[in-house]
Amino acid sequence: MTSIRPSQVKRRSQLARRHIELGAEFEHCSNLIVVKDYGSQTEVDQAKKLGLADLSTLPRIGFKGTGAPDWAAYHGVTLPQQPNTSAVQKDDSLVAKLSHQELLILSDLGVTSTQIERLEDSPIAAQTYALPRADSHCWLAVTGNQAAEMFSKICAVDLRAHKFANGEVAQTSVARANSIVIRHDLGSTPCFYVLTDASATEFLWDCLLDAMAEYTGAPVGVSALRTLS
Amino acid sequence: MKPRLPAPYGSLIDRDMPVNFNFERRSYQGFAGDSIASALAANEQWLLSRSFKYHRPRGALTMAGQDANTMVQLPSNPNALADRELISDNLDVMGQNYSGSLTKDRGALLGFFSRFLPVGFYYKAFFKPRGMWEKWAPFIRKKAGLGIINQQLEPEYYDKQYKFFDVVVVGGGPAGMQAALSAGVEGCEVLLVDENPTLGGSLNYTRFDTEAVRGRKLRAQLIEKIEANSNITCMTDAVCNAWFADNWLPIIRHKRLYKVRAKQTILCTGALEQQAVFHNNDLPGVMMSSAAQRLMHLYAVRPGHAGVIVTGNNDGYANALDLFDAGVEIRAIVDLREQPCESPMIDAAVARGIRIEAGHAVYSAHKSGNHLSAVEIRKITSPGVCADSGEVIPCDLLCMAVGYTPTYQLVCQAGGQLSYDDESAMFTLGNCPEAMQIAGSVNSHWDLDACLAEASRAAVIATNALGLTNADVPPQIARESLSPNHPWPIFAHSAGKEFVDYDEDLTIADIINATRDGYEHIQLVKRYSTCGMGPSQGRHSALAAARLVAAATNRTVAQTGVTTARPPFAPEHLGHSAGRSFYPARRSNMHYRHLEAGAQMLQAGAWYRPAFYGRPDNSLKCINDEVNNVRNNVGLVDVSTLGGIEVRGPDAAEFLNRFYTFGFVKQPVGKARYALLTNEGGVVIDDGVACRFSHEHYYVTATTGGVDRVYQSMLKWNAQWRLDIDIANVTSAYCGVNIAGPKAREVLAKLCTDVDLSNESFPYMGVREGTVAGIEARLIRVGFVGELGYEIHVPQHSGEALWDAIMDAGQQQGIKPFGIEAQRVLRLEKGHIIIGQDTDAMSNPMEVQMGWAVSRQKPFFVGGRTIRELEKKPQLRSLVGFIVHDSRAPIPKESHLVLDGAQMTGRVTSCNYSPTLQKPIGLAYVVPDSAQAGSSIIIKSTGGVPVTAEVVNLPFYDPDTLRQEL
Repeated sequence: MTSIRPSQVKRRSQLARRHIELGAEFEHCSNLIVVKDYGSQTEVDQAKKLGLADLSTLPRIGFKGTGAPDWAAYHGVTLPQQPNTSAVQKDDSLVAKLSHQELLILSDLGVTSTQIERLEDSPIAAQTYALPRADSHCWLAVTGNQAAEMFSKICAVDLRAHKFANGEVAQTSVARANSIVIRHDLGSTPCFYVLTDASATEFLWDCLLDAMAEYTGAPVGVSALRTLS
Repeated sequence: MKPRLPAPYGSLIDRDMPVNFNFERRSYQGFAGDSIASALAANEQWLLSRSFKYHRPRGALTMAGQDANTMVQLPSNPNALADRELISDNLDVMGQNYSGSLTKDRGALLGFFSRFLPVGFYYKAFFKPRGMWEKWAPFIRKKAGLGIINQQLEPEYYDKQYKFFDVVVVGGGPAGMQAALSAGVEGCEVLLVDENPTLGGSLNYTRFDTEAVRGRKLRAQLIEKIEANSNITCMTDAVCNAWFADNWLPIIRHKRLYKVRAKQTILCTGALEQQAVFHNNDLPGVMMSSAAQRLMHLYAVRPGHAGVIVTGNNDGYANALDLFDAGVEIRAIVDLREQPCESPMIDAAVARGIRIEAGHAVYSAHKSGNHLSAVEIRKITSPGVCADSGEVIPCDLLCMAVGYTPTYQLVCQAGGQLSYDDESAMFTLGNCPEAMQIAGSVNSHWDLDACLAEASRAAVIATNALGLTNADVPPQIARESLSPNHPWPIFAHSAGKEFVDYDEDLTIADIINATRDGYEHIQLVKRYSTCGMGPSQGRHSALAAARLVAAATNRTVAQTGVTTARPPFAPEHLGHSAGRSFYPARRSNMHYRHLEAGAQMLQAGAWYRPAFYGRPDNSLKCINDEVNNVRNNVGLVDVSTLGGIEVRGPDAAEFLNRFYTFGFVKQPVGKARYALLTNEGGVVIDDGVACRFSHEHYYVTATTGGVDRVYQSMLKWNAQWRLDIDIANVTSAYCGVNIAGPKAREVLAKLCTDVDLSNESFPYMGVREGTVAGIEARLIRVGFVGELGYEIHVPQHSGEALWDAIMDAGQQQGIKPFGIEAQRVLRLEKGHIIIGQDTDAMSNPMEVQMGWAVSRQKPFFVGGRTIRELEKKPQLRSLVGFIVHDSRAPIPKESHLVLDGAQMTGRVTSCNYSPTLQKPIGLAYVVPDSAQAGSSIIIKSTGGVPVTAEVVNLPFYDPDTLRQEL
């Protein structure tokens, strides 16, 4: 057991206590703390089948406004073609286009991408507005071949692989909480990022675990996700 | 248990798995796969329940869960259908609705008084003679009951799931299986739904040929193909309980409600066999012919020893052959038709030497104990009329095969139209929506080949519509000329008791008398007589009632019609609707710190908020201590639930100027300004502060409960104004605290070194950006609680760290957390109103003493025009502060009335004991005449005690606002 604890940093997931209760092993990732694993030797297999990971402490940001797409493109962001799709960047960060004028940028799992930091430091253009997505929303990942089936219990959008392609985005309701769902497969393993109002993080976590129980889904750490990707 | 029929009878039971269960506290044995009714029938226990009104003995009627005769009491579930519910080890089953015992029900005496309980009895008894209902009601309520809810039972886990298919086929009989197969081979994602444990429908039990091989063979062929087709998902034991717009289908399977979206629907829901109506047609032992066939083929149970079949079609002969082959002695086939048409089935019956009485009816059934013992058959002299005498045939089984109605419920819910052909006595369905096809016996096709061909045709239409095929649609299949429906299988008896509706114990006379009472429309007959309003929802009463009403009102059945079939199709548990609902609960990042500090949490909307810290039984002291600590020391409250909205862009000031009542164009950067929001009617609907961090950036707070509405309203207005701004609801992005009290600055100074906190540099209503405990923060100097205070807003995920840092830094100053109860008292002392508590749907700014927050200089703001008009008129009421000086008086509460003599003139909106003033203080609406300071008002307090209060100027505390501007 390492002695890393969420309380060692100022930025803490709403789920920090849940992770501790589940026996999580934490790791430093850049200047953040994330769940490395929950001590299971089979977490990668679990993630392939049905896993739930908390990525809420990882960097992310949003930009909106009529000037946002051009400004982001100017700063090297590869923009998705259509709203409600996403594009993987060269540095493995992910950009989701939520509307013609709104972008959501998510860090890679190893937090090696500098794109978010670079954009935050760049002078903002006219009609471009930053959105504090790192704090307004939690960031959960649901992985595995049974993920779409599990989602069908709590989300009215058909997320099955042949209906909801990798890279697609749904702005919908998950367990009645407004959510952004992005399909971002980890290698050959289906993966859905779910971003929901940060204050409802625990509610959503509980709902997901409850829905996953039928398929013996379980929490997994970021380490398993990195292995799969 | 009596020996069962040999295999292949009993397709649903596993003879290797005996199951022991109890019925009426007696032990029985059945097999796995047995329903309660089939297992009891195998033990010669035919009596299952007592009827709703007259407590008549009832047994299996359909063996398909389509009637209320089999309703029994299970430990967890009243009104369970014994012919649907499977047995399980040690299951305790009881009959329902009896006094004494099931076999000797004292309530059955009611049958002798049936003439005193005529149709419309409830309506008549309600209003005359005067006072009679009070006498009847207790008796009726006790007698007319069904099962008993076990209120001690822990709710079970029910949930829901969405499903998506190209084609949903409802009904897994021959037509349904063929339709699913035809659609599946074209690449459609198909869901095939059937309410029975296995696919096959009538193929499982109906005899389609004299040798009884075709049905079994066809079933095996279709199932093999379906199982080989990966495009087809089968859902058995599942009921499609309704049809809603756009092919939204609620399908219930066990404890889950599936919300299914289908692009195309094919309904192959089959047909429901109907009863003959004659004296005592409800006795145990009298059943549909299909019920007898189900008992034999599905459960290997012989339905009787000596049987009579009353029929109006050739299916009755097929039934007779089945019974004969199963060893039942057939005493007679009573054919309502004068001249039965030619059929191999009839030939086969004749060949077996079965007695056939054509042109005869069963006039009455006789009973021995609680079971059928004989039937009296009579010659039919004209439709519905029999000869004066007949022959009594002893028997313990009577099978009825006189016709069918299509299972039209889902079709009609989708807008389909049910028509009746008086000549063929058949219903037909039409006018289905485009994305819905129907096939099989629901569409009045009875020939197996015709059903299969029509199902394939329906699938072609569906796959063409989906763009998967472009095939020629085969021509419609012509209906057979021979109708299985006898036009009048209804025979009145001088002693009555010919049941049209088993659920409600309604007889021929009841239906006819309803029309005589003036209720001639079928919908009125239904409501007046309750015909079709029982658990089986008219499945077996609709046709007979329509025929009787038609005859009684000199109309055709086509003109009379049938009653509306509304969802749900089958009874459903409340758990299916209520189970596993989602109510997103919101928590701030500091939530657990509150719990660790002993907070009593309460829910404010979706948010959890600390009410106060300490034991619930000591709440008043806790709250008062928290108030005193803020007034004398320093306190910390979580205000994360406050709404936060960013308004950014070149026109941000102009936008706020139009949106809120105050002026914002000249608001300096670095300052906050009170923001009062009214709607177009000039009614106060929200408030907050607008913090200007730059020329083009405002951060506006809103009330916890109002922020979503404020945000939506902002978007709506700017959709019209098209100002160059961006509006973002960032409520959850920030955690907030308010550190308040005379020592607040002292504590904050330890953590915030990059902002000059002095009053000169950072005065009241100033805003700054800086860091607190190393966390980027927005600081707002506000005074909601009337003390020196700073709201500190930090990124959500740093909230807990901020809380820890401040609590740690304030230890020396005696910092303590305070909850929203203390905050309410503090703000009341300061005379601040809470929107929604101190305002209502009519409150304008002048009434609530907020006229100062309304700009008269600017040309427009939302609600401005109305407010200007209101200002020209005399004010009708005022919100004023009051103090109760009498220490013995009960403290008034919110909504207590302000009285002027007996007349209500206002109401209390807030009232608390003030630890600072050491008196109860409050806010109340009063008439303008009483609004002057020094006026006296009377409040009708708890227990109706009048309490005198003095109207005073606001605020109660620190009127010169010296404390918050320290």
